[in-house]
Order: sequence, then C-alpha cells, then structure tokens
Amino acid sequence: MNDASTRLRFTLFRLLAIAAFVVIGARLWELQIVSSDQYLESADANRFRLLPTDAPRGIIYDRYGRMLVRNVASFTVSVVPGGLPQDAAERQRVLSRVGELLQMQVGSRPQIAEEATGSDPAAADTTSIEGILALRYNGPYNPVRIATDVDRQAALILEEEHPELPGVLVETEPIRHYLEGALTAHILGYVGQIPASELDSYLADAEQAYASDDMVGLSGVEYTQERVLRGVPGQKHIEVDVYQREVAVLASSEPEAGSNLILTLDVELQRYVEEALSKGMRAAGSEVGVAIAMDPRTGEVLSMVSLPSYDNNLFSGGISYSDFARLNTDPNHPLLNHAVGGQYPPGSTFKLVSATAVLEDQIVDRSTMLYCGGTLWLPNKYAPDDRSLDQPFYCWHRSGHGALNIVGALLQSCDIYFYQAVGGFEDLVGLTYTRLAEYAAEFGFGQRTGIELTGEATGLVPDDRWKRQNYGENWVTGDTYNAAIGQGYILATPLQVVSMCSTVANGGTVLRPQVVYQVTDSEGRVLQGYMPVVSRQLDTDPEDLALVRRGMREAVQYGTAWGAQIANLSVAGKTGSAEYAAWDEEGNLIVDEFGYMPTHAWFTCFAPYEDPEIALVIFLEGGGEGSQTAVPVAADILKHYFGLDGTSERPATVTAP
Amino acid sequence: MNRLAWRSFDWVLLLTMLALTGLGIAMIYSGYESLYTEPGPLWDNTVFRQAFFAAVGLVLYLIVALIDYRVWRGLSRWLYLGVLVVLGVVRVLGRTEFGATSWLSGGLFGVQPSELAKVVITLVLARQLGLDREDLESPAPFLLSILLLIPPVALIYLQPDFGTALIVVLLWIGMVFLSGVRWRHLLVLPIVGAIVAPLIWFRLEDYMRDRVLMFVLPGYDPSGASFNIRQALISIGSGGWLGKGFRQGTQSQLEFLRVRHTDFIFSVLAEELGFLGASLTVLAFAILVLRLLRIARLARDDYGRLIAAGVATMILSQTVINLGMNANLLPVTGLPLPLVSYGGSSLISTYIALGLAQSVILRRTDPEAALL
Repeated sequence: MNDASTRLRFTLFRLLAIAAFVVIGARLWELQIVSSDQYLESADANRFRLLPTDAPRGIIYDRYGRMLVRNVASFTVSVVPGGLPQDAAERQRVLSRVGELLQMQVGSRPQIAEEATGSDPAAADTTSIEGILALRYNGPYNPVRIATDVDRQAALILEEEHPELPGVLVETEPIRHYLEGALTAHILGYVGQIPASELDSYLADAEQAYASDDMVGLSGVEYTQERVLRGVPGQKHIEVDVYQREVAVLASSEPEAGSNLILTLDVELQRYVEEALSKGMRAAGSEVGVAIAMDPRTGEVLSMVSLPSYDNNLFSGGISYSDFARLNTDPNHPLLNHAVGGQYPPGSTFKLVSATAVLEDQIVDRSTMLYCGGTLWLPNKYAPDDRSLDQPFYCWHRSGHGALNIVGALLQSCDIYFYQAVGGFEDLVGLTYTRLAEYAAEFGFGQRTGIELTGEATGLVPDDRWKRQNYGENWVTGDTYNAAIGQGYILATPLQVVSMCSTVANGGTVLRPQVVYQVTDSEGRVLQGYMPVVSRQLDTDPEDLALVRRGMREAVQYGTAWGAQIANLSVAGKTGSAEYAAWDEEGNLIVDEFGYMPTHAWFTCFAPYEDPEIALVIFLEGGGEGSQTAVPVAADILKHYFGLDGTSERPATVTAP
Repeated sequence: MNRLAWRSFDWVLLLTMLALTGLGIAMIYSGYESLYTEPGPLWDNTVFRQAFFAAVGLVLYLIVALIDYRVWRGLSRWLYLGVLVVLGVVRVLGRTEFGATSWLSGGLFGVQPSELAKVVITLVLARQLGLDREDLESPAPFLLSILLLIPPVALIYLQPDFGTALIVVLLWIGMVFLSGVRWRHLLVLPIVGAIVAPLIWFRLEDYMRDRVLMFVLPGYDPSGASFNIRQALISIGSGGWLGKGFRQGTQSQLEFLRVRHTDFIFSVLAEELGFLGASLTVLAFAILVLRLLRIARLARDDYGRLIAAGVATMILSQTVINLGMNANLLPVTGLPLPLVSYGGSSLISTYIALGLAQSVILRRTDPEAALL
C-alpha cells in the first residue's frame, strides 16, 4: 500500500462498494417504506378470494311429494400448469397418475417451437391431458379444467393423494340430477351456463347477484321458476395459495337455499300416460305424440307427455357437442315440447268451438236439423247460377249423414253440418268466419295459455287480412268451411285443445293451465299455495255448453269416439283427424290411393260426464283416424286414472252410466 | 506458529459471516419448510443439510486460516490444472440440474465444482497479478492473466452457468483493477468488452436473452417468467418496516414466490423481517466487504493483498447481483446470495475464501497498524 495509485484504486473500489449497497438500501426504502401499501395490496390480492357460494337450488317434487330433481355433488379436476413439477419425469408421473384415475390419455407435450410454427387448430388434441393443457393454457397459475363430472371414487383418490400430485386441483360443484330423466324432461327442463347472448341481462339483475359462470335454468320449470329455485348465494372470503388451493376461510355468509317446488304433476300417472301414448304411437306408426291430462276445475296439469323426449341429465354438468348435435338435428325434435310448442290443424276437435259459437249466436238451436248428403256443392261466388262451376265440399262420411241436429252433428262429427252452420249455405245465414275467430280467441286459440313452461307457441287463428298478406287472396266461403272443421289455416297446440275441452267441461271458464302446485321452503312450509287463474269467463248460455257436452257424451256412447266407452265411467269426447300437407323426398304431395292427404289423430275428452274431474288430449302426428288410434290411448289412461283397470290403487270414482 | 499475529484475527469478519449463515438457515427454514413439506429422513432435510455444510465449512475455514496463505503461491500451477481437470470432468460426466450440467454426484450430496473454481481462480490470479511495480509496466502479465482466465470461464459458461462465469470475469476485473495494472492497459477492457458483448449476446441461450429483455422492456414476457420477478417485488414491498414476522410471510408461505430457499431468499427475508431486517442484512454484507478491503490494505505482500481483494470482489459482485435481481434492479441471473442462500458448494467455497482472507490478516507484518 505504498503506491499512491493503488491507494486511489482501493479508495475508488471502496466507494463503489458503498455506493452499490447504498443503492440497494435506497431501493429497499422505496419498496418497503414508500410503496409498501401498494405492494401489501398486491400481496393481499394474491391470497384473498371472495367467492360466491352457490345456494342449493330448490328441489322439485310431484304433487304427491315424489322427488323429481335433486342436487348431487359433481367433481371437477383442474391442473395448475405452474404447479406441476418442473422435472419432466416427475411431471409425467403426476399426469400419468391423474390420467390413470380419470381414464384419460396423458398425450405428449407439444413443443413450444411446434406450437408457434405449425399450429393447426383443427388438429388440436382435446382428449389428452397435455393436449387440453396446451390448448387452454392461460398463464402458469390459472387452473385449466381437464375433466368435469368426474367419478366420485377417482375424485376422492385424487384428493387423498394431493401431496404427491402438486398442481392438481379437485373441486366439487353441485349439479342437477333428474330422477325421472326423459319422463319429465319437457316439464322440468334443464340448467346450464348463462348463454352469452343473455349474460348482460342476468348480470344487470343486481337483486339476484348472478356471476358469469353461474348455472341458471334454461328451459322448462327450471327456467320459468328460476327466481324461486335459485335462492340467495352466500359469500366466502378465503385465503388461497399460488395453486389456488383454499388454505383458510376468513369469513363466510351462508347461502340461502332456493325454495322447493311441488308440481301439479302426478309422476306415476305421467309414467302410465307415457307408456300408453308410446303404445298408441307404435300402433299408429306415429313418431311424434302428445298426451295431456288436466283438471278442468282448476287448470292443474296432472300429466303432460311429449314424445320423443330426451334425457335432461345430459345437460347437467355440460352437454357434449355430439349429444347436443344428435338431439338438435333429430327430425322429430325431441328437445321441443310438442304439447305446448307443436302447432297442428286441430281438425274436428275444433267443432267444439264451432258448435258453441253457432248455438250461442243462435244460428241453430237444439232442434235445428241440417242435411248432410256427403257432398256440399258451393256455388261459385261470381257465377252463382252456373252450377257447373260449383266447388264440392265433402263430409268425411262420403255417403252422407242425412238430417242432423247439433248433438247428432257432434256425435257423428259431421263436416257438412258445420260448413253450413258456420259458413252459411243457400238460405241459411251462417255464423261468419269473423264470429268464429272471435269465439276461437275466447277459448284461447291463437294465443299462449301462459303455462309456466318454455317454448309455448301461439297457434294460429288467421283473419282475412292474414290470408291476403300471406297468400295474396281474399278470404272466401271455402276458407270459412275449412275453418269450421278445424282445417285450413287454423293451427292449435295440444295444450290449447285440452284447455278448450276443459272450458266446455267446466261450463265456460277458461283456466290457465298450470304446472306449479305449491312453493315451499326447505322446512316444507307452504310459501305459495295453488290458485286457479281464470283467463276468461265465456259469456255463454249454460244450456248451450250442456248441449255440446251432450254431443261429446253421445259421440262416446254411439258415435265416433265409441272406443272410449268404459264400464262404470261416463266419458265425453271429440275425435279429430286433421288433414295436413306433407311432401315426400321428391317434393310430391303425399296422398293415399283415394287421393286423401295424411291426417293427425286427435282425441280430447273429459270424465266423468256429470262432474268432470279430468280432461285429456291425445295427439298422434300422422296417426291417421283419431277414432281408431287416439281414442284407445285415452281410454287406457282413463281406466288407469279411475282405477278401473285393476292396477291403480286410486279408489274408483263410480258414476251413473 | 508463534509468528501468527492472533491479535490480528478479524473477529468482525468471522462473526458477520456466522451471523449471515445463521440468518440464512433461519430463512431457509421459513422459505422451504412450507405447508406441503412432508417429514423425511434427516439427511434430506434442507435446514439440517445447510447447518451441516456450515459446520464443515467452519472447520475448513479454520484450517485454511491456519495454513500460511503463501503456501498456495507455490502450488498455483497445480491448482490451476486441477480446476481445469475437474471442470472438464464435469463437462463429460456431470449431472444435469435446472438445465445446466454443473454437478458432480458424490454419494449423499453433489458438488458444484464451479463454486470452488472461483476460489482457486482467485489464488491463481493473485499469483499472476501480484507482481512488483516494475513488472506491471509491461502489459505481458496482464495479457497472460486473460489467457489464464479464458479456459475455466469457457468451461463454466458452457455448462451453462452464465452467472458464475460472469462472477469469475468480474473477479478478474476487480483484481486487475486493484493489482495496479496501468490505467492505459485497463483501457483494453472496454474495447474487449465492446467486441465480446455482441458475440455473447448472440450466443446466449434464449431464456437468458429473455431475462435481459424482460428487464429492459417492461411488458416483454414471452415465457411468463416475469411472474416471479413481480412476486419478489410484492414480497419485499409488502414487508414494510418490520415485516410480517418470521414464517408469517404470505408471499413465501403460500408459495407465490418461487425458489425461496436459494436465489430469492432475500425476498423471503425482506417480507418476513421487513425493512429493518433487510437493511441490517445489507449492512452486514457491506461490513463483510469493507473488512475484506481492510485486510487487503493491511496484507504483508501483494499476493495476500490480491487474495483479499479477490475475495472482496467475489462477495461484492455476487451480493449485488443477487440483491439487484431480488429488487428488480438487475436482470435475473441464477446466482445465490453468499452465505445466506441454500447450497453446500457455495457456502463451503465462501467459507474457504473467507478463511484465506483470515489467513492473510493473521500474517500481517505490523499488528499495530490494525489499530489505526
């Protein structure tokens, strides 16, 4: 140290060292003292999570308390990429174990270079664990969901082995388990994630506090009763580690379970109705069928079956693309509830409206006789005198019914009687279509009933303007004739038809069909009881409706619906065979050897005649003659319902014949 | 041995070293023994291993302190050849960990020869540069030191262990500077640097380049590696004045911070012990470096002076690089914090290096000067 230069150098070096430590000290001051709050906030943001805890969704029961849906725990397995071991062999061991338990392929880890250059999204591997990890990678510490609805046993093993499986997360989430599956799918519906298109409106509902990954009802009662079933989600303030695993719960507020629903449905009746309907469909060669049973005194829907149906459990925990594609492209639309969403010409069942209307407007009375010769020749509007231009309108019974009064016309389901009474003929001034349409609207046609189900259609009761807009033609008498017998442009849902039948049966009260019987809390206290909802009271003479009922009763006793004769039960009903246009693969209109178009089979009825307690509608798409195919289904159901087939435990209601 | 100036023994150096080692063991316990650590054999216990290494290191420290450092001067050639052979063997037979082949397996524990190489290179450079004034007039010894440096640095760099190679180069620069090499000769340094830097840049592994770019360009993060840098800042910053308490650091205990017991142990310390603990730690390192420079000043010969200067440079550069990385003042380099970070090779090598410095001060000529 005798050299001045060296001394200087040591001094410089010492200063450099001191300066370096001072800079570090200053930096520590800046981080730990000046900006400490901000970093403390970041540290808290790392570890604290405010998580909503799902409220248990309400349970749904049938009217006798039989459970239809409950919540079961479903296990989800996620992987935190950054939590996996860095050592390739260790990582392989962890993923192999997971793959073994979940029965998934581990796959190979895509090379980063390959990803960047030759990435082909179509070739993306979505079945192996490594494939999913590569595809959904979103930062090292964002868990990637690799399997949902995992087998319980496998999930428990994974949970148990978690110290040896770093980076693997097992979570539970409740999913809906529909005990009856397809049997009640169209009524209960299903739940799923909020659709992207409706996300904003759900999130805007501050009162319900929805989160973007919440499960909500998407169809059926699950959708319409969402607010009742949902409950109030709780909150959980937790501390997590870097792998997003819960380390501690700091605070929590309990969720409030959703209310339970008791439906008007009788699930055992539903099961029987489904069997009877599918038997009838097989016999009729029909691929789509509907059966609805409703209490005409209250509007309670006791049973509603639409076939084909689907297993709504497929939607719990997320439906697979292939399952959804299969259901969605099925030509018979199993996802559609045909009972409320199918629109068909109601055919002769509509004569109940026509009959009520012509009696009420005093076009005819109980004794007015009109003649049916099998064919009605309607004079040309512009050349009434040139009978060669007359247009023929046929009765279904080509040889004619002869002279009939209103009861006879209903019992024989005579078309020509109603052509004349509604459309007028020769000296008889008819009801006019305008009045018929008004009565149809009174009965609820052309509008939704308001049942608590999704996918309800309005049906169609057109007016003359509608025809001009859609066909560019004026409304003619022929259109009125067709409308009088439920053909032509008129369309109705099976629910509207059974509602009409109920209205006739109960003496003129249009009741809203309902499927929700009661809302109860988790202790079973009734929060909301059943209240019939009167949509309208028809301003009709009770005598007139009595005549219509009489026609229906006689149709069973002596007429088209004779197949519904049941010992010890007085049934009244109206058949229908509604012609519809269908085309074959080459685009030709399908007609049979006599030139007739195919028909839907209808039957609507109520029983007992004297004091109705059940109204039914049976619909078989393309099922042919209602009297031959739909009536036996109804008879089968009624026998069972009234305990007349020896299988039901329900006491028989014995009525006078 | 009666010529040993025991009064000169640098107790401050020893106690600072032991204090930092103890602090390190405590922080390893805090950072490594996490929620999910399972009990295993004692030998696998990281805390136990570090304490064991410290004990071994302390024995070696005392032995090295007792041996007259001038012994090494004569062995310089053999030491140098030995280092090259061992680094060569690593290159051929070594074990790969964290992407670098820098380990030799040795039964229960592996050895990282590059750590020991730093100490040996210090001795070799001290011999090469510790010459008389007149000899330094010629650039020859200086240039020869470069030639001596290249083979070991290349072998370490190729492992690849960029951090240690960098430390060896900084060690050389520090020793050259303090040896009294002429200023005009030192001008070669920036010129060589300007030529070598681009070569190195394009020879760097991708991840190393990413680390530098990540540091220079905010938001540049192709591999998601900035996560840990960010977490380190949060750890340090959230510590505040007094910290969250021993083993109470949320960042470390919940594993938001990675490599807690090695490269980022200072972040754990700063989080749990706060500004107070962190700045005292920095102060301890400053004391260590200044004490080493004091030894250099008091050394009886140039060889001893340069050994102490080399050890000071080594500890200073490694500490600054590691702390700078923790505080995001410098890019990420995988270098441990001397004495504190977990790692047997690093700890024992540092003990030996400090033992050499102790040996130098024990053999000073003028004990009275120490009091000045």
